[in-house]
Amino acid sequence: MSQSEVVTATITIAAPPATVFPYFTDPALLVQWIGDTAHLAPEPGGLFALDMGDTRVRGAYVTVDPPNRVVFTWGVLDSDTLPAGSTTVEILLTADGEQTIVELTHRNLPVDWRARHRDGWTRNLGVLEQKVHA
Amino acid sequence: MLRALADPHRRRILALVKHEDLAAGQIASHFEITQQAVSQHLHVLERAGLLSERREGTRRLYRLRPEALEAVRTVLGELWPDALQRLKTVVEKQQRRSPDNRAKPDNERRIP
Repeated sequence: MSQSEVVTATITIAAPPATVFPYFTDPALLVQWIGDTAHLAPEPGGLFALDMGDTRVRGAYVTVDPPNRVVFTWGVLDSDTLPAGSTTVEILLTADGEQTIVELTHRNLPVDWRARHRDGWTRNLGVLEQKVHA
Repeated sequence: MLRALADPHRRRILALVKHEDLAAGQIASHFEITQQAVSQHLHVLERAGLLSERREGTRRLYRLRPEALEAVRTVLGELWPDALQRLKTVVEKQQRRSPDNRAKPDNERRIP
């Protein structure tokens, strides 16, 4: 893989890190915000398996450090484009008063994604996605 | 991977086959480029895992693979902002349901 990209996303949640953390390690809580079914073994080397519709995300936990940091690998089963375990997701939870700042970094994504900025492919894909789920 | 998506023709092809299976000829009718050029684009998209192909009689029908769509969304960074927004909604709803838990460490909460 000659090129890789990093995707970041941040959000502030009105709850302490200890409340937010299990949403990345408890399958029943994880599927409340992403995917449909999950099998998780939240310890280094433990399974991270998440099914999102037809997409079967597979990886392994790398770091589980409650309530502040969790890292797992991420890929799609049977995918040539994003093989299981091929990319890494890091989540940092930082207390800010009674809130938590969630910083997510998804690394090693294989791309030349300049196309995104060139002519609204992102927007098109968003429409595509809504329709697929409609 | 997304080199396959860098070409505007290929992106239009994906948009055409997102809901229905289409034959190469049907796809080509939307373009001014030759059917041979369309076939080449289809080949690139298939090799990138973005399209599936099935045979119906003598025709080959193409369709966007749903699992490829999520992979593409992940790569383009669209998955996480949506997901974290849902996380925020879910956690804050739970917080409101149990206000006693707010910002208290576990050991404090257990004190009768």
